[in-house]
Amino acid sequence: MVQTQERRSSSLLWWGLLITVLGFLSNFLYWLPIPQGVIPWINLFVPLIGLVLLALGLLRSWSGASLWLKGLGAFLGLLSAVVLTFSVWIFFRARDVPRSGGAPQVGQKVPDFTLQDSTGQPVSLSQMLANPIANSTRPKALLLVFYRGYW
Amino acid sequence: MRGIQKDLLEFQAAGIRPVAISVDPPEESAKLRTTAGFTFTFLSDTRMDAIRRYDLVHRGGGPEGHDISRPAEFLIDSSGIVRWENFTEDIRVRPKADQMLAAAKNIP
Repeated sequence: MVQTQERRSSSLLWWGLLITVLGFLSNFLYWLPIPQGVIPWINLFVPLIGLVLLALGLLRSWSGASLWLKGLGAFLGLLSAVVLTFSVWIFFRARDVPRSGGAPQVGQKVPDFTLQDSTGQPVSLSQMLANPIANSTRPKALLLVFYRGYW
Repeated sequence: MRGIQKDLLEFQAAGIRPVAISVDPPEESAKLRTTAGFTFTFLSDTRMDAIRRYDLVHRGGGPEGHDISRPAEFLIDSSGIVRWENFTEDIRVRPKADQMLAAAKNIP
């Protein structure tokens, strides 16, 4: 009786560990061609499920379990709490982005600007719209990609 | 941006000129272009002229608390009108190149 219970709670612990590890690995899903918007939520909730499983495993095993199982459970629980803290921290940091309500909207004309290119030459928006691209025709459109920099 | 570089010929065939903009100085952009193999235009907005006018300033968003640009993408047609734009809510989530190509192909 005690043995089946112990086996059950230790399998909960291993599942908790597996799911915690998967939750950590899910931070690298951004390279895959899957819908990007759901990945942050996967990053957040999978480690949470892992921690819940570990907590359940620990609770169940606490009364009758051997010392090694308790020790293992405590260690895995701590590990999973670290992973979850990391996930929560990244989640809120990555979403701390200004709203940009004053940005040009679809249908509006954008303000012109002149900036230096990577060789130090000044380049203006109107120039980039007028100068031909590779196939020697004027571009149909510009794709402006603002990025964070500091790579 | 790696996606744009990968599909650069397709972007050009569709008449699209990609341009990357950040607060990095020209030397930094030049380094990035060489190491990452980017061949399209990179612009430096160290004084945040354009970034401020497009309301994209992310105060203290840089690694050492510098002001930087938030990620954002705009498709601007030949008369300077915005035809498509994207503001991510999560800096880890960016539009895919094929998504931007599809939006570009919608411009008459």
